[in-house]
Amino acid sequence: MLIGISLISFFIMHLAPGDITSSEASFNPKASEESRQKLREFYNLDKPVIIQYGLWLKRMVKLDFGNSFASHQRPVLWEKKDNNGNVIKGLIQESLPITLLINLIGIFLIFSISIILGTISAVKQNSIVDRSITFFIFVAFAIPGFWLALLLMYWTGVLNQWLPISGLHSLDYKNFSEIGQFLDLLKHLILPVSISMLSGLAGISLYVRNGMLDVLHQDFITTARSKGLEEKTIIFTHALKNAILPLITIIGLSIPGLIGGSVITESIFAIPGMGKLFYDSVLMRDFPVIMGILTIGSVLTLLGTLIADIGYAWADPRIRKGLVK
Amino acid sequence: MKQIFLLILLLIFLISCSNNNSEVIDYKDNNLSNGGVLINAMSAEPSNLISMIAGDSASSAIASKIFNSLIRYDENLNFTSDIAESWKISKNQKTITFKIKKGLEWSDGVPLTSADVYFTWKLITNPNTRTPYGADYTLVSEAKIPDEHTFIVTYDQNYAPALDTWASLEILPKHILENEDINSTFFSRKPIGSNYYKLGDWISGQQVNLIKSDNGVLGAPHIDKLTSRIIPDTSSQFLELSAGNIDLMNINPIQFKRVFPAKPKLKRRTELYKEMGNGYTYLGFNLNKKPFDDKRVRQAINYAINKEEVIKGVLLGLGEPISSPYKPGTRWNNPSLKPYAYSPKKALSLLKEAGYKMSGNNFLVKEGKALEFEIITNQNKQREMTAVLIQRRLKEIGIKVSIRVIEWASFVNRFIKTGNFDVVVLGWSLSLDPDQYNIWHSSQQGPGQFNFVGYHNEKVDLLLEKGRRELDLDKREKIYHEFSKHLLEDSPIVYLYAGYGLTAVNKRIKGIKMPAPPAGIYHNSYNWYIPKSLRRNEFTDK
Amino acid sequence: MIFFKGNSLAIVGFIIISIILFVAIFAHFLSPYDPNYIDINSILLPPSLDHLMGTDGLGRDVLSRMLYGARISLFVGFVAVGIATLIGIILGSIAGFYGGWLDSVIMRLVDIMLSIPTFFLILAVIAFLTPSIWNIMIVIGLTSWMGVTRLVRAEFLSLRQRDYVLASIVMGTSNGKIITKHLLPNSLTPIIVSSVLGIASAVLIESGLSFLGLGVQAPTASWGNILTDGKEYIQFAWWLSLFPGLAILVTVLGYNLLGEGLRDVLDPKNK
Repeated sequence: MLIGISLISFFIMHLAPGDITSSEASFNPKASEESRQKLREFYNLDKPVIIQYGLWLKRMVKLDFGNSFASHQRPVLWEKKDNNGNVIKGLIQESLPITLLINLIGIFLIFSISIILGTISAVKQNSIVDRSITFFIFVAFAIPGFWLALLLMYWTGVLNQWLPISGLHSLDYKNFSEIGQFLDLLKHLILPVSISMLSGLAGISLYVRNGMLDVLHQDFITTARSKGLEEKTIIFTHALKNAILPLITIIGLSIPGLIGGSVITESIFAIPGMGKLFYDSVLMRDFPVIMGILTIGSVLTLLGTLIADIGYAWADPRIRKGLVK
Repeated sequence: MKQIFLLILLLIFLISCSNNNSEVIDYKDNNLSNGGVLINAMSAEPSNLISMIAGDSASSAIASKIFNSLIRYDENLNFTSDIAESWKISKNQKTITFKIKKGLEWSDGVPLTSADVYFTWKLITNPNTRTPYGADYTLVSEAKIPDEHTFIVTYDQNYAPALDTWASLEILPKHILENEDINSTFFSRKPIGSNYYKLGDWISGQQVNLIKSDNGVLGAPHIDKLTSRIIPDTSSQFLELSAGNIDLMNINPIQFKRVFPAKPKLKRRTELYKEMGNGYTYLGFNLNKKPFDDKRVRQAINYAINKEEVIKGVLLGLGEPISSPYKPGTRWNNPSLKPYAYSPKKALSLLKEAGYKMSGNNFLVKEGKALEFEIITNQNKQREMTAVLIQRRLKEIGIKVSIRVIEWASFVNRFIKTGNFDVVVLGWSLSLDPDQYNIWHSSQQGPGQFNFVGYHNEKVDLLLEKGRRELDLDKREKIYHEFSKHLLEDSPIVYLYAGYGLTAVNKRIKGIKMPAPPAGIYHNSYNWYIPKSLRRNEFTDK
Repeated sequence: MIFFKGNSLAIVGFIIISIILFVAIFAHFLSPYDPNYIDINSILLPPSLDHLMGTDGLGRDVLSRMLYGARISLFVGFVAVGIATLIGIILGSIAGFYGGWLDSVIMRLVDIMLSIPTFFLILAVIAFLTPSIWNIMIVIGLTSWMGVTRLVRAEFLSLRQRDYVLASIVMGTSNGKIITKHLLPNSLTPIIVSSVLGIASAVLIESGLSFLGLGVQAPTASWGNILTDGKEYIQFAWWLSLFPGLAILVTVLGYNLLGEGLRDVLDPKNK
């Protein structure tokens, strides 16, 4: 399966006209064609696609992701040390953490908030609260992200100086205390995280709401009620636990999404994450980086599906008991 | 439930409170003092601070503040000293002798001598160095360093652009790089230079900091620190400028002419600067394709385009029409040449001469074939708008034009390099030397070379060759004036406009010369200063 | 309309969509100016009686561009979803009906496509080809068929066991007839719902692509590119951001409401 993905991606990329040597700079009359040709030879771009793929595969088996074309030989995945002990950081090594951070915070917030919203909505079905929450969910789903981002940046950053507009750290970041640095990072992340989790929030809230509604109408709930159990207990202990089960599958399926930053959000908020890295690599035809990101993506997908399956099996007492027996 | 809600509110309140407020500032303080930070924005991150290897503008913007060349351009675009205090051209115009200043140092204290210059020249002419710019320097047949302060180069043939090439070559330190592989050395991320600034912190993907150097070749700057924030999106950049978080930014005509005047608070804080840009935009014909091989057709289209309208519509008037491929205001511009006027009548009569007749449905036809073609351009808002305006004017005289916008790499590889196009809207960014051999000489039409429009004029070829060999400035000027005359007459391209460079700078930054001299406002950026009262909250730095 | 009784959200969605469809179809009647008419003397004018939604950077009337943009946005949505649904139905039916190795291969393909983040894929492919309205529609279509495939397959798997289907097979009815006469019509519900929701997402994707410069190209007007053209002057030319942004919001909202409403109504598990 990994081979399949990598093969498809490799060929799609090479279908595209141009390569790293056709950047904007290559249209400078002072730059000669022979030097570009030399560069092409160095990167093996003049060899047939199959051979290029073979070379890449050979390196990958040794877990060597190679070096990026565009940023003059910066390693794609992890840092390398040169003879003088200088450490050159890998591209993915630097972009992945921030994307992961944003996505993890986002997922955590999405799940906590949607469970709350979905449950309230389901319990108070068709009330004003339910309708407003549902309305809010639908609007959140429908807003074009970059539009909202710019509006919020203008409102919170220019009109009122509440939040920073873009970037990850303030300029005098280094002079803050540990707590100061942490708070500073949070301040910078408020807008990007909110924007990127908006549609996920909407989707999951709706899902929770529908799930809860399903469960709440089932027989065993009615039984519990007739037994005289408190409403609160019914909701939290019985209904919620059952409704949440499918969410675990969703968490598993979201794992590959963890490494995908939104290109648009990262571009607007000047966050050097994986989305921006991928987009820049595509435009620059930086094949090693593109292949590297896609490979990691596929690995994570397989991992995610696996975890989701395991998680579901563990969480569902029916399956768990079955296993034990 | 309620408690969680209150907790969230409290958190938001705490976060927003740890913010500094902006006070009302009086910008009239003009007192010169040393210190302060200037923050500007870059759309892309530098890839490599060794200019001969890097191809992108972000890298050269930073590298030019760290390194020096032998000579440089002064505010009037004449050559002046940098590392070399003087230079002499031999009588036969084939040898240049540079005298290097005494007592120069690299920022790490090691002396800067002619050995470094020779080392750099050897590096850029080394076939193993992956640089696209080596061609000019291989023309040097012999380079000598008779002593630590003399560098002598000899050319086989007179090469007029030579001095310009020496103004572009940034000199690298031999003592650090002699045992390194220039293509992969860590020096590209941690350079040691000799100019006003040295590299401070480079936080990957976020900002590049330059701190003032005390032993620079040209002295010390007034501003202590230059911070370049990497903000890819230009609308975010503008928001940051509006909030006062960055001090300097290139703006577009609409922001210059419409947005700033409408925002008094912003205007109070920002000064707008206008200068002649360094390039021009043109409509290029594929001379290898009919009907563009017919001069009358090209001239007709030239007459049919209203260039004033393009400048007014696309640039809001912030640009100039040109009639030579040179920067207005420089000596290479031929003052006797005037751009083609807007005259649909003349256009139509030329087309009639070329055999076109107006058909029933208002299109020009010749031998049954209608005059129609496709304009292609890359993803550049101004070029797109220009194409649309041209399309309309050409429609008025019966020419049907379609427009296609193409992503850059595809554009270059599938259309330009292969000669697979009708007409393009593109721009040339020019070097300061008038030599245009690579663009207009008939020998430069190979794939990947720059005479992609396919221009071939023997007289022009001779002029271009002569211009390269003539070191006398006045004689050279005459040659290029005549070259421009032929180019205008043949009209292989239609000059559309030379746009202005527009910059918005926070009023805290003093010392900027207005009106801008020919070299632009940045030529004396090292003399800019920030008066003490206007500085941001100071913080100590390593 | 009795159909939707009690489901007010779906009704709202339906009304919104009808209005947008009406506007799109009759754009040439409703629009006061030619959307491509450039007037360099009217650059960036705020809304006025002459130009109800103001003008853009080339002096073109924004209202007219918005009306024609409705056409483009909807066109992109319909065609993209059409392509996705067609592929989804074909692949899903084959997988669900025949099962066996065909099913495995198709599901493997689905998994592979799902493991590449969709937007990345769309980006990459469009950046390589020239961004044109057809490329965008085809690419969105080619990357959104996975959901429909799964739904159709699931329906087919469950329906296949029904008595009337088994009876048909025994009677010797051709496979094709079984699929088209029995299985497909009964699988319509999830297909319709997913199509409606798909249109909403296609509109959003187009606007995202426009932001990156890969959307519908000039001079054709789309809501996405009007919004993108105005993003540098968001504090000054608010009309270039407000109207297309709201339009996208309302349209996507409408489709989502309609889709969810349909799901509630058509779902046999009606509450």
